[in-house]
Order: sequence, then C-alpha cells, then structure tokens
Amino acid sequence: MSGRHAAPEELRSLCEQAVERARAHGAAEADACSEGSRAFTVRVHGGQVDTLKQSGLRGLGVRAMVSGAVGFASGTDLSPQGVDDLARRAVALARFATPDVANGVPTPAETGNLFDAPLDLFDPAALELEPEHKIDMALELERIARGADPRVTRTDGASVSSAGGAFAMANSQGVARAWEGTSVSAWVVALADDRDGRQQSAGEGMSVRHLADLAPLEQMARQAAARAVRRVGARSVPSARVPVVMHPDIAGAWLSEMIEAWSGEALLKQSSWLTGRLGESIASPLVTVVDDATMPRRLGSSPYDGEGYVARRNVLVEQGRLAMFLYDHYHARRVNGASTGNGLRGWSHTPGIGTHNLYLEAGRETPEAILAKVDRGFYYDDQGSFGFNPVTGDYSFQAQGYWIEHGELAHPVDGVTVAGNSLDMLMGIAAVGNDLVFKSSVAAPTLLISEMTVSGS
Amino acid sequence: MDSASPELSQLVPRELLSELLAIARSGGASFADAYAEHAIVTGASLDEGRLKTASYSVLLGVGVRAIRGEQTGYAYADGFAPEAMREAARVASRIARESPSAATGRDGTPIAFRVADAPAPFELRDPATLALDEEAKVALLRRADETARAHDPRVREVSASFGTSARAFLVANTDGVWAEDRTHLSRLVVSALALEGDERQESFATAGGCVEASYYTSERTPESVALEAAAGAVLLLAAREPEAGSYPVVVCNGWGGVMVHECFGHSMEGDTIRKRTSIRATQQGQQVAAHGVTIVDSGLVPWSRGSFRVDDEGTAAQRTVLVQDGVLVGYLWDRLNGMLTGNAPTGNGRRTSYRDYPLCRMTNTWIEPGPHSSKALITDVKRGLYCKRLGGGSVNPADGNFSFQVTEGWMIEDGKLTYPVRNATLTGNGNDAMLRIDGVASDLAIDGTTGSCGKDGQWKPVGVGQPTVRFSGITVGGTAL
Repeated sequence: MSGRHAAPEELRSLCEQAVERARAHGAAEADACSEGSRAFTVRVHGGQVDTLKQSGLRGLGVRAMVSGAVGFASGTDLSPQGVDDLARRAVALARFATPDVANGVPTPAETGNLFDAPLDLFDPAALELEPEHKIDMALELERIARGADPRVTRTDGASVSSAGGAFAMANSQGVARAWEGTSVSAWVVALADDRDGRQQSAGEGMSVRHLADLAPLEQMARQAAARAVRRVGARSVPSARVPVVMHPDIAGAWLSEMIEAWSGEALLKQSSWLTGRLGESIASPLVTVVDDATMPRRLGSSPYDGEGYVARRNVLVEQGRLAMFLYDHYHARRVNGASTGNGLRGWSHTPGIGTHNLYLEAGRETPEAILAKVDRGFYYDDQGSFGFNPVTGDYSFQAQGYWIEHGELAHPVDGVTVAGNSLDMLMGIAAVGNDLVFKSSVAAPTLLISEMTVSGS
Repeated sequence: MDSASPELSQLVPRELLSELLAIARSGGASFADAYAEHAIVTGASLDEGRLKTASYSVLLGVGVRAIRGEQTGYAYADGFAPEAMREAARVASRIARESPSAATGRDGTPIAFRVADAPAPFELRDPATLALDEEAKVALLRRADETARAHDPRVREVSASFGTSARAFLVANTDGVWAEDRTHLSRLVVSALALEGDERQESFATAGGCVEASYYTSERTPESVALEAAAGAVLLLAAREPEAGSYPVVVCNGWGGVMVHECFGHSMEGDTIRKRTSIRATQQGQQVAAHGVTIVDSGLVPWSRGSFRVDDEGTAAQRTVLVQDGVLVGYLWDRLNGMLTGNAPTGNGRRTSYRDYPLCRMTNTWIEPGPHSSKALITDVKRGLYCKRLGGGSVNPADGNFSFQVTEGWMIEDGKLTYPVRNATLTGNGNDAMLRIDGVASDLAIDGTTGSCGKDGQWKPVGVGQPTVRFSGITVGGTAL
C-alpha cells in the first residue's frame, strides 16, 4: 500500500483553520469535522484475484451558525482556498435556515476534559498488512470454504481489507479533538448446490480494529460452508405462532433497527414507539442494553464523539427498565438537558444521534441449552433487508433458518417471514445466550423469544 | 449559489488522460479507463416547521482502472492534481504485478480518442438542479409542510426535504472511447407522522427525477406530494395487521416494479452471469416468466433518475429486452463482463462516483403492458392482497430469496378492496416469482422519481416500472393468523 492516512494533528489544524475562516465570514459560532483515511481492499473469486482497490479519502465539513441558523458545506478540496470557499458557502447558506436558540457548539466545560484511558484503536500491524498478504488471506478463505464440503463447489467471493483513518473536529468555543484508528475486515460467502439447479448461500465475516482480533480464517470459512450446506433442501412451513430462537447475527440486526427509538430526536417528535416509557419496564428483566464508546479495541469506540464530548458508557435498558434516551448537543439543548455523547458525524454530514458500540449484555445460558428448551419452534439465522417500522417497532422480515422439534434442528426452512412487535418481543425474551461476540459495532447474543408469528405456506 | 459543474475536459486535458491510461497499462493490463467527475450535491430540510440546515457539498476527482484478464485494479485521487492522478494510475497498474505471470505492457503510443456521439435520450432545458435557488427550494418545502399539516388534525409532525445532485463526468479508455455526460437529479421527499390515541403511523411520498424546474409547479407540486404523505399516514392509523399465509397478491403499477427489479433484474446482471453465481446463467432461451410477460431494461426513459446519454464507461444508453413473452432472450453487460464473455456492452456499466469501479447495474427496468384492466385483476380475486404502496425490497441473488415491505396494502375479499393493511412483508424466491404472474394489466407506469439500488456498497439511481400485475400466490408476512 502506498502512502499513509493523514495525521490527526494535521486534520485538527485544518478544522481550526475552517472554523477561523467561518468566523471571518460572519459566523457567530462554527465547527468543522475532517476525516482522512486510506484503505486497501482485495476481492477474490474462483481462486484468483477479482479486484484490488485502493481508497484514499480526505474530506472536510464546515457548520456555520449565523443568528442561530445553521448552514453547512463539505468538500474534498482542502487547499486554503478550498477551505475558505467551504466556510464562505456555509455562512451564506445559514441565511436560508431558521434561527433556533438550541443551535450552538459546546464549550470545553460541557464536553469534558481529555479522555485519557487507553482505547488501543490503532494497530500498526493492520496498517502494515501488505496487499500480497491480504490476497493470500482472501484466497485461503475461499479455498477452505470450497474444500469444506463436496456440495460447496463455488463461492460468491471472499474479501479482505485493511484501513487506517484519522478523525478531527474543532469548534469556535475552543474544543479541538483528533484521533486515529485502524480496521481489518474479512468476509466470505459460500454457495452450496441444492436440488433443481438451486443453490444456498451463507456468508461469514467480521470487522475489527486489530489484526490479531480477527477470528481464524479457517473458522470463518468453515462456518460459512457449514451454514450453506445445512440450508440444502430448505422448505417452507405452515403458518404458526411459535417460540423463535434468534441467532446472534439476527438479534444484532434487530438491535440496530430498534436504535432509532432511543433517539432524543425521535422522542421530541413523538415518532418513537418508546415515547412516554422512560423509567418503565419495556423488556424482560433478562435484558440490559448498553452503548459504550469506551471499550478498548472495539470498532465503535472513540475517545470523543463528533462534537467533542468525552467518550462514555450509557445504559439504555437496565434489567428491562428503559433507563435513558440518547442526545447530541442540539437535541439535548432542546430539552434543557445534556448531550449523552452520541453526536456522531462524518465529514460530509452535520452531527446526528447515533451509537458507538451498541450491545445487549450476555446472559448465562449456552446457545445449545436455549435450543433445548424449545419443543417446537423456529431457529432464525438469516433475513432479508427491509421489514422494520421505526415508528411503531413493528417487525416483519423474510427469514431463513431451521424448524425446531424437541430441542433439535429438524430441517432447514426458507420462504417464510417472522413477525411481531418489538415491545412484545422485548417483553417476551425468555433466555439470553452467553455467546456475545463483536463482529461489528453492534452485537447481541442468542435470544429466545417466547412467541412470534411465522408466516409460510 | 453557483451550482453548475465546470468543463471537465479543461481540467483534465487529453494528453494527461492519455498519459494516465499508459501508466495504468504499464504493468501488463490489457485495458484501462480513467473517469473524472465533478459533482455538486445540495440539500435543504424542513423539519418540525424549521429549516434546520441548508447544505452544499462538492466532490471532485479521478478514478483509474486497469484490467488484466478477469482482474481489476482500481485507485482514485480526490481533486485534479496531476501528480495525484498519476499515483492513482500507478496503483491501479499494480493489479498486473500483484497477479502471477503478468504479460508485458504495451508501449506508450498516444491513444486516438473517438468522442462518443450518442444522442441525448431527452432534452433538459431548465433543470431543477440549476434553476431553483435556495429561496425557491425553501418555498417549496414550506408549501409542502403547510399542506400536510392542514390535511388532518392527526398529522403531528412533518418533515420535507429537497435534494439536488448535478454531476458532470468524463470517461476515456484504451480502446479510444472518449465520452462526457451530465446528469441533473432532484428529489422532494415529504414524510408525515400521524398520532391518534396510542396509535402512531408514518408515511412518505416523493417526487423528482432528471426533471425541469417547472415539473415542481406543473406535474408534481409540493402540495400533491404532501397530501399523499399525510393521507397515507392517517389511513394507516386505521389499518389492520395482514393475515399470515400464502395467497394471491396484486401489485400496483409504477413503483410496484421494484419487484421485477429485485426478483428478476439482479439475476440478469453480467457479473453474476459470467461468474455463474446466478441461476439465470444457464437459462438463455428458457421459459423464466409466465407467458405474456416481457421485461425490458432501458437507460432512455425520459425524465427518469435511471436515464443517461452514456453510462459510466462511455457506452451509449440502450434498450435491452431481457424476457420476451416469458422467454429469457438477453442479459445486461458492462464492459468487463461483456468483454470476458464475448458480449457487447449494453450500457449498464455504472458507478456511484469516481471513488468506485463500475459494476454491471440496471438502469430503468420494467414489465411491458398486457391486455387486462387493472380492475379486472382485482375483481377475479376471492381473497388476496392489493399492494398500493411498497417500500424497500431486497434479494439475495445467490439463493433467490427476496422480500418487500408493503407500506400500504388493501385486503381483497370477493373482488373488492375491503380494508387497509399495514406492515405486510412479501417473501418468496426470485427463481419462480415471475412464473407466478397470472395477469398483466395495460396501465404501465415507470417510476423514475426516487429509486436507489444498492450493490456491493455502491448506491445508484434507478427507475422501476410495471403495469398492475397479479401473482397467483406469494407468502405474506403478518401477525394475524
């Protein structure tokens, strides 16, 4: 890989320069955010390299506030002239926006001081991973998947990528932050031959900050192959209301879908299905949900949020009780509260409410013990992409998995949907697995939900 | 605020492009192309009655691709600094060196470029992207907001946004192709939240495409979009949960075509055909859809987001028939996958920006009209679901499993629409979904206002369409049994 990502300090001074330019053009308050990253991605297919791609991104966004109204401009021309142009445009655009007393940027007293616990987000080994090595890793993922079972004759490809990136922000109150991190990702999709020319597919992969945290390639490839092969002969089942065991991937995806309901913005607009529930029991006592920016080596960790607030750990649901909503600076001011450190942003967007490492805490039971509890039900381990209503919490997804008979997987299932309402589902969580693994910045263990509607033939 | 892109051929002259292509090919690549782009994206959103932010973004840079056999090397540079572009070309050329037994590169003979002379599929005189200034956009949003709020006291919150994207690009390759094009997309989105007691429902509506400024005053006014969103949200307050099970489903014209896009179109894209990861790879000449079903992809549809003069590889937009009367007759090809399989590119090589290499993608994809009236398709159904509005859809092309969100459905009982239904999800397998069509109406509409298709992390505007279509049986997800 040629070249390195931008130095964090360099981006921070770029942000400071942008804030200064915005002030010079007439902004009462301003902030800026800059990102610089470099990534190299390898994709292989059929035993040879398919694509090699190098990405090298540098961008800057400037937010200007004039008489309490916000204008925003972003771009990739980071020359002094380019920065000045963005600052000028941001100020000019503010003229069209609505003044709002809640607009503003936080002071150092509000954001907190320096975050000084070691987060260990940067791995030199990830950055030094040569393209040739990544090609070998991807080829190995594919080779092991193909060799794992005679029915896996092809894959839909394997990919390995590594990246280094820096993030910086600065505001007109004197808050200025910068940090850097790395990431490594690996992914493989196994295809298994099924009857009538059909095929089954299953993917496995993860993204981590440290190369050493990547699961063994052999394990990922074998898991993908085994899941694809287990799906051979999948068929629909008659519609029924049954207990559902959610695979960690599915439980994590559900958690991601639900997060909008915890947003202070949605609460203000009454568009959250958790409106009016603060302090109430909204889930089974087995459920604790946490968003934590302070976990060492995790993908979603960072010392500060996009507005400069010091990283913290927030408990959203504590043993079933709705404990809090999430806020960025603007929405916190709307309710005369304080930001929860959840103002996330990229260089091309204004801050918005988001999460860092979001997870449902592990329980005590093994996935096998949870499965054994179900006499007749559905084990749910793959899904389609659309099926969640963020306003009502209604859940209805295309699903794949296995029919459970007497605590064991009886046969593979597809052509069904699984539906319920998130509040009922949360209250109905009857078991929480001990198998919490972070494959990205959202994670959940195996969950048993006492009843959902499986719709089929 | 100025929102027109500059002339790219002045920023990236021919001699420089020729040099970049020579560098890209120096490692042994058989083909290379370079893609320069300047894009201006603006946005304004009115939320809770406040214009919260007005935004402007400019993206510019060059991407260089080198191909050797089935292998692609890609790198890009932000901005138009010649040395950064050369560096990108050098990185792309490494695909040959990274691969075993690289062939020797060709010499650096300058390329004689031929300018692609494809005609524009339609003429855009006064694109909304350039004609509407910030003041005009805010005025549109205020009108939408007021209309939605006034529609019904149960409308609690309204959010309206107007976005534009004005994009100029230039692509040149080692075969001598030189092509430039500009696209002008704009979109108005209105969402409304309705509350009544403990019930809370949201609905949204959109307008836009590659349209003139006058479109928003004559064809699709902010009032009409707002009314659609507000009425949709209020209607859903009284909707019921769908019955779980498998039964006849009638899908609306226009946006309903998202089903043919997902269930069928993706499996016809040249990359999955060449790699044989699509079930369609071996089905040329076979019956893949019901008799009477003809499926087309075309980048030439007037005013659609999915249309262009040349694709992102410089190939002229064209009309490609995929299925004729139920029989598979053609695939979609980009340059790479076409080259490797001996097929001419069909104008389906598309990329999100200069930061991405081209993929084989659909443009505007639809089912041609049939003989029936849309009413007749419903009248014949004893018990079924009419999908009046669909949300998103997805498919796994490898195993064919698809799903669609029905944002507004109606139960059909004894040939009549009896009550509204919410939160229905349709699922099935794309391998046989088109064979289950048992009625095609004559009311073809192509929706080029809002569709964005995702593939390998790249999002690209598309149009989808169909007449009203009936499927004999689809699994409908719901909580009622």
